Amino acid sequence: MRFKTTTAIALISLAAAPVFAQSKTEVLGTYADIAQAGYADSLATAQTLQQAVDALIAEPSAEALQAARAAWLAARVPYQQTEVFRFGNAIVDDWEGKVNAWPLDEGLIDYVDASYGGVSDENALAALNVVANPVFTLGGEEVDAAQITPALLEGQLHEAGAIESNVATGYHAIEFLLWGQDLNGTDFGAGNRPWTDYATGADCTNDNCDRRGDYLKAATDLLVSDLVWMADQWAEGGAARQAVLEDETAGINAILTGMGSLSYGEQAGERMKLGVMLNDPEEEHDCFSDNTHNSHYYDGLGVRNVYLGEYLRVDGSVVSGPSLSDLVAAADATVDQDLRDRLNTTMVELAQIKTAAEAGFSYDMMLARGNAEGEALIMSAVDALVDQTRAIERAVTVLGTGALAFEGSDSLDDPNAVFE
Amino acid sequence: MRLLLTAAFCLSLTPAFAGVEEVIEDHALPGTAAFAQAAAALDTAARADCTAPSLRPAYQKTFDAWLGIAHLSLGPLEEAGRGLTIGFWPDSRGMVGRTVAKLIADKDPAAQTPEGFAEVSVAGRGLFALERVLYDDALAGYAEGSYSCTLARAMTHDLAVLAREVDTEWREGFAQSLRSAGADGNTRFLSEREAVQALYTALSTGLEFIADQRLGRPMGTFDAPKPRVAEARRSGRSLRNVILSLEALRGLARSLSDAPIPQTEAAFAAALDKAEILDDPVFAGVADPVGRLRVEALQTLVSKISSAVAQEIAPALGVSVGFNATDGD
Repeated sequence: MRFKTTTAIALISLAAAPVFAQSKTEVLGTYADIAQAGYADSLATAQTLQQAVDALIAEPSAEALQAARAAWLAARVPYQQTEVFRFGNAIVDDWEGKVNAWPLDEGLIDYVDASYGGVSDENALAALNVVANPVFTLGGEEVDAAQITPALLEGQLHEAGAIESNVATGYHAIEFLLWGQDLNGTDFGAGNRPWTDYATGADCTNDNCDRRGDYLKAATDLLVSDLVWMADQWAEGGAARQAVLEDETAGINAILTGMGSLSYGEQAGERMKLGVMLNDPEEEHDCFSDNTHNSHYYDGLGVRNVYLGEYLRVDGSVVSGPSLSDLVAAADATVDQDLRDRLNTTMVELAQIKTAAEAGFSYDMMLARGNAEGEALIMSAVDALVDQTRAIERAVTVLGTGALAFEGSDSLDDPNAVFE
Repeated sequence: MRLLLTAAFCLSLTPAFAGVEEVIEDHALPGTAAFAQAAAALDTAARADCTAPSLRPAYQKTFDAWLGIAHLSLGPLEEAGRGLTIGFWPDSRGMVGRTVAKLIADKDPAAQTPEGFAEVSVAGRGLFALERVLYDDALAGYAEGSYSCTLARAMTHDLAVLAREVDTEWREGFAQSLRSAGADGNTRFLSEREAVQALYTALSTGLEFIADQRLGRPMGTFDAPKPRVAEARRSGRSLRNVILSLEALRGLARSLSDAPIPQTEAAFAAALDKAEILDDPVFAGVADPVGRLRVEALQTLVSKISSAVAQEIAPALGVSVGFNATDGD
């Protein structure tokens, strides 16, 4: 009954406006091309990071550490723009935890300040310190960590004890090893790990410099191999590309689900609003490096990329093609215009945070208790993301693609479950 | 122009969504009123006697009332982060314990004034921070005149203020926004369907929250169950919270639906029957395989309510689930 009405309106729109409707297959092709380019760029910049890490370990110096940090920051630019592929694409979501899990209990990996505290209700391994301990007990079993290898990190440490904050791999583990803890609270300043944490012989600070280097090397190599795998999934014939192309309706749903879930529950809620409400600098997404303003900005840009069907690559070239925006405009030009306006508003709000942070009002300062200016900056972006989510829901409605596919929702994954 | 055209079509071709008014009058407003009343009584009790044993009964009543509306995450509870402030859980990084301990260790002067306390981290405010003060053995022995006494009063007063704001905002603002969905000037809900979808999303999300968080978190994995993260275990409320949430969500489902919902009713009844005989008030049983299976059986029944709701209520209302705040990881 209700659906017929919607269809009627959609037909009227089609008749009333000049329409250059793109086929859903073309739109999905653009989406997959952007994913492929985004993961290829993430891989290339991670390989640059890998070279910088190798150089740091081979010849430790302040300059070498700085070069590795710069490479890490550059690697985040394309990667954050791929986060929009997470929700809605099971193949990405299942993999993502190895690469970008956050927040983490960094005491699992290396030494931490006394203020960090120790074990908690949630995590008995929060202060394990693998760098300092070649042998330790995990779930009642002795683990030989004499050699710190990608297999040890991936197979035994990551999410040890089934605890999500035991993040042993990925960008944020590497970030911690390059910057160290940010002990400035909500004052200005990032982590300040000395380069001598990687020095050899008597110059070594905080002990176990060789094992720390081994950990950094293993985590970086693993990041590269994980990105190789994901870039392959989106190449011609790759499983992720096939999954979105084989069912047009499911593919369009994947785009919309990714846009809405990242905008609302993940970015507006989990990453931004929660940090303000907790006044907690550890709620920064890139908390060791103080790069959170960029992390948020490029997340937002990724959502806009997939809607407009356009991605600016790290070499300056552009990937573009028929877009979801075209499809929505053909169904209802007002809904499309409104969504594009809201995506742009969000980018302005996120750019204001980035601008302020780069000028010295860093993201952790914005989170301080009673900092009204910081709260206003962040909450304006949260509100814009919430508004944009409503517009995405309207796009879902006008496209008539039906229910959004949410992760972990039995009712949608398995509509017959109720009759079992 | 286009907007007007669409609105005209909706008005002329679709039946009015009767459920919205019922949700407002029979579910939301009685719920916000009850919570405001309970929180005010807790505040009054704290002013008379701040010590933990005397506050616990009023605390329990306030928490009971909160569960009547906690799932209404749209509108006044979403704005200004009120829902998060009142019920900050799950707390995957142990922030509540650390924040409350630090407030007490620092004798933080923020607790001296309502304005100051309103700036404190949400991990130091609301029902879960107050639970530490009232039930944590290391903290609850405080006397009149101590800093903890001041803190308990700050927390209870803050809760009463928040609860009153929620009630007022629903009554004087958000209810009208829902009622006037699709009318000129309503920028929040551009059609009646959007209002219905928002309420349906609250129902669906509330059910998921019980299965995935209230039950799923302490269950952990088979090899690594986590009884210590059960919601409100210090005040002995973990299972009670599940039962009261199910009852509240059943009320929402009934109000929202125009037609009989036999599958949904049966699914709620099955889950509530199971919950009432579980006899594991803080899910400590998840630590052993048999106890974990029993909690898992309840989780399965709650998931079946979600399926029933999606099968029976969503199509009848012509809506699908919208995005919700728990879509993140």
